[in-house]
Amino acid sequence: MRRLLLVLRNDVRRHLKSPAAILIYIAIPMVMTALIGIIFAPRTEESTLPPIRVVLVDHDKNLASRLLLGAFDADEVKKMLEVTVSDEAEGRRRMEKGQASAIVIIPEKFTLDLLDARTTVLTVVKNPAEQFLPDVVEEFMNTMAVMLSGAVQAFAAEARGIRAMLDAPVESIPWEALGPELGRAQKKIVAVRKYLDPLLIGIKAEEAKAAGAKTLFTQRDLFSIMLPGMAIMFLLFIVQTLMRDIISERQDGKLRRMMTTPLRPLELVGARLAGGWVMGLAILMVMVALGSLIFRAEWGNLGYFLLLAAAASFWTAAFFGFFSALVKNRNQAGALGAPIILAFSLFGGSMMNPEAMPKAFKAVGILTPNRWFIDGAALVRDGRFPLAPLAVLTVSGIVLTALAVPALRRKTLV
Amino acid sequence: MKKLRRILHVAVNDLRIMVGDKAFFFWSLVFPMMFIILFGLLFKASDSAPAVAELTVVNLDEGRWGAYFLDKIKTPTIELKIVRSEPAEYSRLIVLPPDFSAGIEARRAQKLAFKKRRDASTKAAARVETRLYQAVARMLSELVLYGDGDLAKFLDGHAEFRDIVQVKTRFPEKTVTVVPSGFDHSIPGTTVQFIMMMVIIYGGITVLEDRKNGVLARMLFSPLSKAEVFQAKLLGRWLMGMVQALILIVVGKIFFKLNLGDFGLSLLVLGAFALAMAALSIFIGSLCTKEDMIIGLAVLLANLFAGLGGCWWPNEIVPLGVRRAAMISPAYWAMDALHKLRFFQGGFGDILPHLGILLALAAILGAVAARAFRVRE
Repeated sequence: MRRLLLVLRNDVRRHLKSPAAILIYIAIPMVMTALIGIIFAPRTEESTLPPIRVVLVDHDKNLASRLLLGAFDADEVKKMLEVTVSDEAEGRRRMEKGQASAIVIIPEKFTLDLLDARTTVLTVVKNPAEQFLPDVVEEFMNTMAVMLSGAVQAFAAEARGIRAMLDAPVESIPWEALGPELGRAQKKIVAVRKYLDPLLIGIKAEEAKAAGAKTLFTQRDLFSIMLPGMAIMFLLFIVQTLMRDIISERQDGKLRRMMTTPLRPLELVGARLAGGWVMGLAILMVMVALGSLIFRAEWGNLGYFLLLAAAASFWTAAFFGFFSALVKNRNQAGALGAPIILAFSLFGGSMMNPEAMPKAFKAVGILTPNRWFIDGAALVRDGRFPLAPLAVLTVSGIVLTALAVPALRRKTLV
Repeated sequence: MKKLRRILHVAVNDLRIMVGDKAFFFWSLVFPMMFIILFGLLFKASDSAPAVAELTVVNLDEGRWGAYFLDKIKTPTIELKIVRSEPAEYSRLIVLPPDFSAGIEARRAQKLAFKKRRDASTKAAARVETRLYQAVARMLSELVLYGDGDLAKFLDGHAEFRDIVQVKTRFPEKTVTVVPSGFDHSIPGTTVQFIMMMVIIYGGITVLEDRKNGVLARMLFSPLSKAEVFQAKLLGRWLMGMVQALILIVVGKIFFKLNLGDFGLSLLVLGAFALAMAALSIFIGSLCTKEDMIIGLAVLLANLFAGLGGCWWPNEIVPLGVRRAAMISPAYWAMDALHKLRFFQGGFGDILPHLGILLALAAILGAVAARAFRVRE
């Protein structure tokens, strides 16, 4: 045991002397979390999207198009849409520069068509390089179209009057006869206010969540969700690097020399596996500390999380111990190790929210440590004990250790 | 001419060694394909959402207005599933309270709870939500039109609501005619990302190993000068990038009907990008003394550039400040040029600034790499 501890202490010292690679692997999850957090963090309570830039082309330049422009100027709409009035050529130029998601074209005679209650068409030209925002503009315009259609029908009589006044010379307008007409219009406006202020029927949209879940999703929540996935991915990279010592030492003859000392193969194997486990756990906790300091990430009960982190590090050390026993040399370990880690991370949810993945990817994800660690971290964050993830990581870790120890012992018999 | 032949010989040999590596198959094809399929399916899912979006309605209304409101929601793209109590499983749900009709007849404002599950299609949810707002707008317009007096009589008959204002959509002229597929978005992004990963990791590590093992120093015993060795290494790594790009484009064309717009110009963009990455790989390989450092740096840079450059998610959802910062990423210029070619049917003139920036970057990185390039430890 004393010899095992000596090897372990020596390994830790050796890795701390040249920590550049480990530091890079610790920095990567922090940088990636920061980048994704900045991009996807909720900006306001209502919207997670940046303002959508729209170019409005007004071929009508009359009363109705100005009213429509006014609607775009309302505070609520301004939060969502950033409208610039220009022509179609400028709209296209902006689209190509990624500065416009859509062009809305108001046709000629738009006002006259509305006053005559004739069907008229608003055109939405969508930016073909964009996937989401042009659809939002289309749906917004569809809703505006319904509202405009309703308004035109509600005030059809008044619209006909305005149309007649537009066509007729001023002297022929029977001004004195307009009193009752205006009275009727006033009644309609009062009626409209009755239904619209406050809105007779409103929609209160909300995301369905588990009982007791948070109602407001903050940037901190996003960081807290992302960091465990990133941390486990780069823990795999770091532990793989540490465990590769076994292969390097075998290749460059150090192992042969070490075996001439009173050190037993089992002690060396034990020291290597324990080293991977302990250093992995320490690095994981450094990431947790950095995550808490930089992103104010929430981890939940630290005791539970420590247990989960210990299980994940144990699994990782056992896995790469077994892996090191299977590969022939350092090059093979490097060539196969990174793809395995990336595949674990892709399927296991380190690179993407598992909920958003196709079903087949989710099913494969269950076979990865990433998925169990991420699920476990989510449980701890919710204040629950991560029993299933702990059990899966520990039991499979023990199985891997049972496979790794004899295989590695054979490797030490040079 | 002889000099060129010597450089080409070494470069092609580098490429041959790389293609002969067992892991090459995984890095250049299997892993990028996983990315393409995953992101392609995600983009596709958001493109088409379910053709018919489901809306569960808990209709507790004790009057006739609930049914009338539901009639306004009906459209071929939305399927209403009417139930009497909130089910455990649903994608989207709206609740009409028992006093819904009474509230309308009393002209009392009310809010209907619309719940959407986070893991269900967001696009389908947006479609349903918009339709709900449109149904409310239609109903309120009708109330304004015909709802004067006793509202109980309103439902006995009135004129139909007319869609006087209609909305039509199209793409700009001389661009695309059909909605681009999810794979048209995911394949260029994955190609650019994996050119970075492959070239920096492989290119950097082989420069390091050749230096450590004395291969570079031994090459100087041949008629090659140090500058020629550098040029050969640069060309070899550029060829790696181009092979990677060609593999993914060919697979994309065969299996996913990938359309890049002008194929020749797309290759030109990827070529300029691969050249910049080739120079970066030699620079990193010359500076680093450990393989793990190169892998770490490559993963960091490739992911950072890919994330900023629009390889993973549409740039449109990225905040303006980040979009500006993205211009420091070489991937941004490559992706923007590929977008211009694919989505705007752009020509050489449209991508000339992008090519200029990528080639200038390649020249700067090449000069820096040439200075850092060492043949001995």
